[in-house]
Amino acid sequence: MRLSHRFRQLSSTFRVPVMVMLLMATVSVVLSERVLNRLSQNQETYLQGLAGSYLDGVAASVSPSVLRRDNWEIYDALLRMKPQKASVLPRETVVTDANDIILASDKPEAHPTLELMDSAFRREFEGIHIRLDTDSELAFQIRPINHRGETIGKVYVVFDASSLLQQRRDVLLALLLTNGLLTMLLAAIGFLVVRRMVRPMQILESHLQTAASGGLEPISSEEFPKAGRDAKRIFAAFNRLVSAEKDRKELVDRLTKEERIASLGRVASGMAHEINNPLGGLLNAADTLRKHGHREQVRRESIELIRRGLLGIRDVVQAALATYRPERNSRALTPRDLSDISLLLRSELKSRLQELRISAPRSSDVFAGLPAGPMRQAIMNLVLNASKASPDSTEILLTVDRTEDAFCIHVQDQGLGLPEGANHILTAPINSMVPDVKSGLGLWVVRQIADELGATLSTQSNMPQGTIVTIAVPHRQSEVLDAAA
Amino acid sequence: MSSSCGRTGANRRTFLLSLTTLMLGSKNAFPQTQKDETIRFGLTPVFLNDDVQLLSAITTYLEGATGYKIDLITRRTYQEVTSLLVSGQLDAAWICGYPFVKYRSELELVAVPLWNGKPLYQSYLIAKSDRDASRLSDLRGDIHAFSDPDSNSGYLVTVALVNENGFGRETFFKKTLFTYSHRNVIRAVASGLVQSGSVDGYVWEVMREIDPDLVARTKIVRKSEWFGFPPIATSKRFAQTDQIKALKRALLASSDTDAGRAMLDYLRLSGFAVADTSLFDLVSQKIESLRGVL
Repeated sequence: MRLSHRFRQLSSTFRVPVMVMLLMATVSVVLSERVLNRLSQNQETYLQGLAGSYLDGVAASVSPSVLRRDNWEIYDALLRMKPQKASVLPRETVVTDANDIILASDKPEAHPTLELMDSAFRREFEGIHIRLDTDSELAFQIRPINHRGETIGKVYVVFDASSLLQQRRDVLLALLLTNGLLTMLLAAIGFLVVRRMVRPMQILESHLQTAASGGLEPISSEEFPKAGRDAKRIFAAFNRLVSAEKDRKELVDRLTKEERIASLGRVASGMAHEINNPLGGLLNAADTLRKHGHREQVRRESIELIRRGLLGIRDVVQAALATYRPERNSRALTPRDLSDISLLLRSELKSRLQELRISAPRSSDVFAGLPAGPMRQAIMNLVLNASKASPDSTEILLTVDRTEDAFCIHVQDQGLGLPEGANHILTAPINSMVPDVKSGLGLWVVRQIADELGATLSTQSNMPQGTIVTIAVPHRQSEVLDAAA
Repeated sequence: MSSSCGRTGANRRTFLLSLTTLMLGSKNAFPQTQKDETIRFGLTPVFLNDDVQLLSAITTYLEGATGYKIDLITRRTYQEVTSLLVSGQLDAAWICGYPFVKYRSELELVAVPLWNGKPLYQSYLIAKSDRDASRLSDLRGDIHAFSDPDSNSGYLVTVALVNENGFGRETFFKKTLFTYSHRNVIRAVASGLVQSGSVDGYVWEVMREIDPDLVARTKIVRKSEWFGFPPIATSKRFAQTDQIKALKRALLASSDTDAGRAMLDYLRLSGFAVADTSLFDLVSQKIESLRGVL
């Protein structure tokens, strides 16, 4: 199991050649077995024929001598008939009478004349067909010597079959070498072919991995394969995808900028209003000073009035600076940022007689690790959206708390509930859609920020009226961000 | 024990000879009269008559020395050659002393080979070299190889010896067989097919030079007394012909020429000599000692 699992883990460049090798090895084994089996059959037929011819010759030649029991003539005939150059040579030939008394042998010392044949030697000859013993590399065959229908003797022959068995070994070796080389060659060809086939996929994989780490680049024309229509089509499709993604990103960037500008406009408008309000009082105070400045009481009151007005303007300007100066965005969120949001949006909310109520811990530790810039942007957008959704003269509640796992910000409105499109922007599993303006670019920007921070967005109905939108930043994520800051 | 020659009575011998001659004559159709230009010379396995180079050396020398064409004729057994010789189908033949004595009345000596300067040789009883045997009695119960039933050294001497020692001729050996060649006796003993054999001492000694590996697998158990060397004989009716005279001259002068010495070297002989029939008296005695037995 582990082996097959490991095998599946291998790349196709190696898997296919290995499979070719296994297939070829299987074919080789089957073919070799068939060839050797056929060779064995042919050799045994050949051996049977050869042995038969030799035995026929011996039997015919020694038959009269056996009848006369002429030991010398039998011996001399055996020596004269012994082939000297043949692929299978008789190693021992023994002629006996019908009762297995040895009449002569071409090895008289091993088979003494007129002795009863050794029973162990006799047992090697079973049946009428030749018996090939692969261990001793010998073949055994017996042939009766008949005269007028009666058996007058027997010829026992032991053949040296080593050359035939060597032939088998040679054939087996040749098969192994040929099949081995063929297998290696096919495996090498398979490796090269598969590598060539897989090469476009590897290029595509490399580009996809680069894209996953943020460097989405089209496949260059040099990398396009010279052959392979399918690969070219896939590469072209990938390049179209890259082009579309780049277009989408440009659109997103543009929309984000526009949203920022729009948001800035609204804030600027609020700021102008906030600045304009005290300006009337400041101008009146200035006129009063010009007309009645000589009066101590009037002068003191006017200066105090001017000072309060200028302090209010300073607060508004500082809040704006905190929001829109990028270098300050990397600092951690503080309770003061929430006050800034309230200040910046006061004019916008006041125009609809709405009020923002903030419920947050006073300690800065609660906000540790949360980047101020993105969080201020996200909270402002959620509050602006809540204002837009809520009727006039209502209250919007901004609650900040900290659970065991995450830092949570809840924005509660008193509207008629989130439209489906807006809810989808916030909570859809994959944020891939670029919304139209009606769907709420503000919420889409919140989603972008949440995704960047690794935060989750959720919506909850606030019965009987309104919706609670919650942005939860996991502590671990916030700690990482803090460390990065 | 096998035997093809029994008593030497003239009637039986004549009958056997006539029968054999009739058989050979009908088969081979030899002319009954001598050809003028050819000497028909019969050979038996008294020497290594299956050596082609040796036969060529004999032919070369004799044709050159006699001026006649030499027709060498070999047969498997002594009896066949003796029959051809006695019947006149051969001019001369190299036969064994035993058939010469048996057919002494029809045959005449042409020449006798000299081995080591003497017209004498021995019969050897041989056994396997690794065997512990040094006397005849050690060979009791053997399968024994004889050369030829008409051979003196390869049969007669051993049979006479067994008889002289009081052993039963039929029972002393477990079995006897004939190989029809002294060389084959040595082969049979060396291979272990038989345990012992009777062989011509001259052939055994020559074989020791030309095939030492084979002969080394045998050893001499007993050497016999000296017998007259197998002679070259002719039938009495051809004894005075020009061919036989020329043949005799050539044989006696063989050591005088290069071709003759080449032939003698092949035969490991020192020459040929004229000899009296008394040279074979010891063979006669052996035959006599077996009278009523063979």
